Amino acid sequence: MKSFRKMTYPYVVWISFIVVAPMFLILLYAFTKEGNAVMDFVFTLDNFKKFFVDSVFIDVLLRSLRVALVTTVLCILIGYPAGYFIAKSSEGVKMRWVLLITFPTWINMLVRTYAWVGILQDDGIVNNILSIIGVRSITLLHTEFAVILGMVYNFLPFMILQIYTALTKMDNSLLEAAADLGADRVRSFLKVTLPLSLPGVLSGITLVFLPAVSSFFIPKLLGGGQYVMVGNLIESQFLTSGDWNFGSAISLIMVIIIMISLYLTKKVDKTELTERRAN
Amino acid sequence: MKKLIQFKNIVKNFDGTLVLKGINLDIYENEFVTLLGPSGCGKTTLLRILGGFLEPDEGSVIFDGQDISGIPPYKRDLNTVFQKYALFPHMNVFDNIAFGLNIKKEPKDIIEQKVMRMLRLVGLEDYSKRGIHEMSGGQQQRVAIARALVNEPKVLLLDEPLGALDAKLRKEMQKELKKIQQEVGITFIFVTHDQEEALTMSDKIVIMKDGEIQQIGTPVDIYNEPINRYVANFIGESNIIDGVMKDDYKVIFENKEFKCVDSGFNKNEEVDVVIRPEDLDIVTPGKGKLRGIVKSVLFKGVHYETIVETSAGTSITVKMTVSEDKPVKNEEANEMMSANDFYIDTLDIDELTDAVIIDRADAQAWNPETEERISITEVRYEVKKEKGSYPVTFSTSAGTSFTVNMFVSDVNKVVDEDYGEEIYAVNFFKKVDEIQESVILDTDLKVWANAYAYDLEDETSVAITDVIYDFDPQNITPGVYDVTFKTQGYVYKVDTTEKSEAGQAVGLMFDPEDIHIMRK
Amino acid sequence: MKKSRRIGSKIFMGVLMLFFYAPIIYTIFFSFNSGRSLTHFDGFSLQWYGKMFSDSNMLQAVFYTIVIAVIATAVSTIVGTITAIGLSKSHRILKLIVEQVNNFPLMNPDIVTAIGLLMLFSGLHASKGFVTMLLAHIMFCIPYVMLSVTPKLKSLDSNILEAAMDLGCTPMQALIKVIVPQIMPGVVSGALIAFTMSFDDFVISYFVTGNGVSNISILVYTMSKRVNPSINALSTLIIVIISVFLLLVNIVPSLYNKSKAKSAKG
Repeated sequence: MKSFRKMTYPYVVWISFIVVAPMFLILLYAFTKEGNAVMDFVFTLDNFKKFFVDSVFIDVLLRSLRVALVTTVLCILIGYPAGYFIAKSSEGVKMRWVLLITFPTWINMLVRTYAWVGILQDDGIVNNILSIIGVRSITLLHTEFAVILGMVYNFLPFMILQIYTALTKMDNSLLEAAADLGADRVRSFLKVTLPLSLPGVLSGITLVFLPAVSSFFIPKLLGGGQYVMVGNLIESQFLTSGDWNFGSAISLIMVIIIMISLYLTKKVDKTELTERRAN
Repeated sequence: MKKLIQFKNIVKNFDGTLVLKGINLDIYENEFVTLLGPSGCGKTTLLRILGGFLEPDEGSVIFDGQDISGIPPYKRDLNTVFQKYALFPHMNVFDNIAFGLNIKKEPKDIIEQKVMRMLRLVGLEDYSKRGIHEMSGGQQQRVAIARALVNEPKVLLLDEPLGALDAKLRKEMQKELKKIQQEVGITFIFVTHDQEEALTMSDKIVIMKDGEIQQIGTPVDIYNEPINRYVANFIGESNIIDGVMKDDYKVIFENKEFKCVDSGFNKNEEVDVVIRPEDLDIVTPGKGKLRGIVKSVLFKGVHYETIVETSAGTSITVKMTVSEDKPVKNEEANEMMSANDFYIDTLDIDELTDAVIIDRADAQAWNPETEERISITEVRYEVKKEKGSYPVTFSTSAGTSFTVNMFVSDVNKVVDEDYGEEIYAVNFFKKVDEIQESVILDTDLKVWANAYAYDLEDETSVAITDVIYDFDPQNITPGVYDVTFKTQGYVYKVDTTEKSEAGQAVGLMFDPEDIHIMRK
Repeated sequence: MKKSRRIGSKIFMGVLMLFFYAPIIYTIFFSFNSGRSLTHFDGFSLQWYGKMFSDSNMLQAVFYTIVIAVIATAVSTIVGTITAIGLSKSHRILKLIVEQVNNFPLMNPDIVTAIGLLMLFSGLHASKGFVTMLLAHIMFCIPYVMLSVTPKLKSLDSNILEAAMDLGCTPMQALIKVIVPQIMPGVVSGALIAFTMSFDDFVISYFVTGNGVSNISILVYTMSKRVNPSINALSTLIIVIISVFLLLVNIVPSLYNKSKAKSAKG
């Protein structure tokens, strides 16, 4: 058995080198500026100051949070009924729906997102249809609408699958029990189905919010070069302006925001559970 | 016979808990040895140390004259049948059994011969190409045995191998395992928590508890001469009575002196006396050595299991006053209300709450048409901490009210020093229809009388086993009745082929050699 | 009432499917456009496919994508499986630590992992390109393999390894003859996930590559700045390959089971 334990050592060395070390580098760069020749790094909080003092950066952060939030809410509003519909379908049909939902996610995200560029163009298919109905053509591409659409398009399947899984895991006899105890359809949905599927919704939220807030190619492709989110800001620090310290600080701020939101959803999950147990 | 395995002072601890506390045990050739004990007693740990899956912290294991501590499992000349068989699900029956031989790189034809012989031994010759999951639990069990035996080990270790089988199959496999052991003629070390299994199959039983060996012996020795209360309880069923050894061959229990065949105890040493249920006979009351009342009789197939109580437990008698009071009706509010007088201890007055009073008075209000219950919103009373009667008025929000008397009296309790028990109960008032309508009268009577019994030493509650009264609940008339509550006294379990009736007075008969004395 | 609800949900699902598949159909449709436009269909032609196969940048990107995906999958499957097995016999604390560290690349936004690796490689003065990209892919693939193998290991009979050693296997023999065959389904699905993760990766590859080495995602990203219908042709090819692949993955096992059931009966 001891010889088996040794099999983990190479990987432990590997991850401390390639996973842990980069995390430390981000921390190191975020809190330092390039020093003089004697000392390579000098401790500083300037990078964070720079971010929070300049309203341009704050605007970018708020925009990212807004877009991610709207995306998440839309995914819940569309994903819940879809997940519910699939979960209530008959056994054989269920798997076919799941396959239909997952199939697009197997195709390269960039390829699928790029397709929307053509669809949303001023003389694209959407505006063509609108003009047939008699609506004046509207600018769709390179707007916040296009960015949110692209995000919903990319992340909605995650939400649907999470909700679907939570709903199929639910014991059907619970609904029968609720009916037996006198609950009508609406009430048994509100009192039984909804609370029990909440963990699915919450893990769906993490799966949507997290990539949405940090995404940088969706805003770039669909929002245009002028539309900047946190991801684009980090990209430009590293690949154009070369200010790694500032870029690291922005990443750190983003990770902290994500960690807080993860913590909050987990907390909602836990209090929900304990409350339910207490009742 | 030759010593094959010696455990020498084996100590093992897991995360700070001692699982084995210095085990010394010799196992001989061709023995069927059973390690018996409840889960967590260390029996499986000992087996795993022998198998080489665990290292002891201290001590050594001698196998065939050689210290095998430190030798890996695959170099030990013994094989194991695991708890859930641990068959390889990706191989068929044949490949599972051939596995060990293939590892040893034996020639194909030899392997085939040996495997087929094993399949014949366990009666599965037609199943060699079956997948493991196509086999029943009992068949998988046989495959596991064959897979171990085909390697011709000197010792076969079996870790609760019958645990997953149903009762009938387990019995069959017990016989079969014994037969196989006799046929192959090697040592079997069998781990189980099932005493019946141990008694049926073993040449030698090792009883373990909390990492220590309690007793080693043949099944007959252990059954007839258990070394202590633990062993006596674990092996078979037994009546264990507190006694005092007056002299050699003389023991006192239940305040009487009896002859016995045990000697070598100190004078007046306190002992445990064991009498097995099948060694007791039921005779007419005058003729037995003990007298008692039959409490219950259970039919067990071959015999009747009769419980005889030789001395009563602690009891208390209270008065139940039965009346025909009618509920009051409030026509305006369309409400009915009822309640009854009740007694309460002076000691309980400090802890009196409205809920307790409503409960004790059994106060209820309801709508006569729908039978729906209505909450009692107000309880009015004044009480002093001295004996006397105090009026209590219950009312609902609609104004319906009912007044009863609360009688405060001294604590009514009986203390029995012999048993170390204390029993409480209070007098109570009831209405005819309440008694007639009760579907669980014994339980209701306990609740109404607030009857409780406690152990004097540790203040834990003791079950009240009997509720005795001599009225007919269905045809009860107003009046005052006695109700007695009783705890369990000394009881004996007796196995007989004749049926007794519950409530019958009987005598219990036994011979001096039926008594076995154990040190406390 | 009930019927109208059912029709309502059917329409809803229909619109949803249109939303999911419109871009895919659109891409396939315009890959056959004879013109350059992404909005006007000028007539059927295969010219963009021809352009694709003569575009050395594109062919190179496809080549790198496949080579990196294959190597990363092979390495991460082997390392991930071995580590998962070792971990299953290791101390609780080590298990917990590795699990936590594995969670970094899974839970962190890709861009954070990407810049971390970028700084690491630069700090080591490694020249960015094929090797750095490959190392990065191996890094994020292994946790997926482990996630897929570990549950299989947990569901094994706890005594199975001991049984093999009891019957004379050395630990290594037990591993190869008993453990690996039983966790194979988990290993295969882990490899599949690793392959698609590597094949589709954009963010991490984009940051750690250099010297002209790019994969399909990076190519699409850089080309999208000006209209290039060859992307549609390439996308269509990928869609077709993945469709065929998924069809095989989903149909072959059920066919296999059917024939197995038949042979068992016969």
